[in-house]
Amino acid sequence: MKVLVCLKQVPHSDARLDIRDDGAWIKDDGVKFEINSYDTYALEQALRVKDAGEAEVVVVSIGPDRVTQALRTALGMGADRAVHVNDPEAEGSDPLGVAKILAAVAAEESPDLILTGFMSEDGNFAAVPPMVARLQGIPSATAVVQCEISDSSVRVERELEGGAMEVVDLEMPCLIALQTGANQVRYASLKGIMQAKKKPVDAKTVADLGLAGQVGASAVKVVIEKIYRPDKGEGAEMLEGSTGEVVSQLVGKIKELGLL
Amino acid sequence: MEFLFSEDQRMLQKTVRDFLEGECPVEAVRARWETESGRSLEFWKKLAEIGVPGLLVPEAHGGLGMDELDLVLVLEECGRAALPEPVIATAAVAVPLLCELGDTELQEAWLPRIAAGDAIVAVGAGSSISPFVADAHVADLLLLPDGGAIHAVDPAAVSLTAQPANDPSQKLFTVDWTPGPGTRVGTADDAASIDRGALACAAQQLGVGDRLIEMSVAYATQRKQFGVPIGSFQAVKHQLANCAVKVEYARSLVYRAAHSVARATRCRSVDVSMAKAQASQAAVFAAKTALQVHGAIGYTWEQDLHVWMRRAWSLERAWGSSTWHRRRIADAVIDGALPAESFGYSAPGAPRAAPA
Repeated sequence: MKVLVCLKQVPHSDARLDIRDDGAWIKDDGVKFEINSYDTYALEQALRVKDAGEAEVVVVSIGPDRVTQALRTALGMGADRAVHVNDPEAEGSDPLGVAKILAAVAAEESPDLILTGFMSEDGNFAAVPPMVARLQGIPSATAVVQCEISDSSVRVERELEGGAMEVVDLEMPCLIALQTGANQVRYASLKGIMQAKKKPVDAKTVADLGLAGQVGASAVKVVIEKIYRPDKGEGAEMLEGSTGEVVSQLVGKIKELGLL
Repeated sequence: MEFLFSEDQRMLQKTVRDFLEGECPVEAVRARWETESGRSLEFWKKLAEIGVPGLLVPEAHGGLGMDELDLVLVLEECGRAALPEPVIATAAVAVPLLCELGDTELQEAWLPRIAAGDAIVAVGAGSSISPFVADAHVADLLLLPDGGAIHAVDPAAVSLTAQPANDPSQKLFTVDWTPGPGTRVGTADDAASIDRGALACAAQQLGVGDRLIEMSVAYATQRKQFGVPIGSFQAVKHQLANCAVKVEYARSLVYRAAHSVARATRCRSVDVSMAKAQASQAAVFAAKTALQVHGAIGYTWEQDLHVWMRRAWSLERAWGSSTWHRRRIADAVIDGALPAESFGYSAPGAPRAAPA
């Protein structure tokens, strides 16, 4: 079985983010990056398939040179090889552009199973996984919290609104987008890190994938007009006085609001 | 010549940092204090799964076959996390000592088990350093020096007496044992083991110092007085800057010492002593400054500052106090036991000693 795992490198959750001068995205100079946490669950799921039997795990990511670190980490955790789409022409792609690139890689790799995170922590669109499945013409399931993978099919449990769950069977090839907390993600081992440098990383350009002019900033259908920090809310009331007085006022306010 | 760590070495460091942040938060350190042994064999096994105890174990015995230049960054992370496990004795001292002893049977018996996380080894530093043996209560094997020889001692054959320690994570024991021909496994350079232990402590002190500075900077940025963060006052920020300068200065010495140990240069011991003394001074200075910056809350049990303060103090005493190491440097300088080149100095016109 071949499993393709799509990884995105996103700003570290502790990183301080500043908005770019054009207001359309964040400045990524000096920002620490990490693998999108949703995608780590996809990687872990793929590695479990590999642990359970014969499987090749291929990881793919799009982005500049810094993305190599994410791929190396995935290889250190146990993935077999990596595909790095490293091309300035891919920069600024909207979800459809990203999906086209990933689908093109999938078309070359012909995996039995594509695993992704449910969404990315920076974009939050949750749009790429179903688009990849649509472009590939394969079934998909999103918000998956549990998978049972057999030779030719996958049974998944996925989250619905209001705490309800749904069980879905998919025939392979298919795409599964994993929800956060779907499994316990392993750590890379020091031995794995050392072995990772011997594993192949295949660099691709947009042209290599037959997508010249079809992706990137010039081909977007979704335009981010601006990102901004919301103004701080008005109406905060400062309680003043001794500690006892402040506590008394606070309890009064809570009672007023009917919370006690 | 390459003076920087490689990308792989930095990835190893990041891997260990991620692991310890996830698996050994300060709550876990405190939880260990409440257990009888103060150690977790389950956690030790996890640590072995990512490769820490076996980092110096030769590949033929299931380890990673790396050297102290790789280990030093890993040990920094252990200090940053205040890791309460016997990494120094087992991974940094016992493994190279077992290799150095050259006893094939002993190596085959213990090195694979260490790499797999199935064995903990406690090592005596020798009476000139300390009469106590750390972590003897959880050790599967004791390597104890006596009269120029090393003895491999079964823990079941010794009597342990626990000693009080300032750091609840530090477990010290006096070991009552009887050396004999049956326990003697060979001779080894006492100084080499001391150097490895001291280097490991110095590396951990860097992590301890870094963590104390980070905690203090975070607190000074958050705590306000007169309407502004206290970190904006020169009296506070300059002290923290001094901490950072001391830790960074010590870092260079620790990395140099790691190189000297890994390559067994003839200035190894003096490099290690300089690193240990300086790193300890930096970490203890950071601890004292951190306490001042935090003020009263820094004295409370609930505030985590003391976890790292105590570690700074306990590491300062382990594998030779700062006084012991300064004396060793002084002896080398005054007695001329080491060439001037050992200290990075060469007198004008003086012939250069051949490289080690």
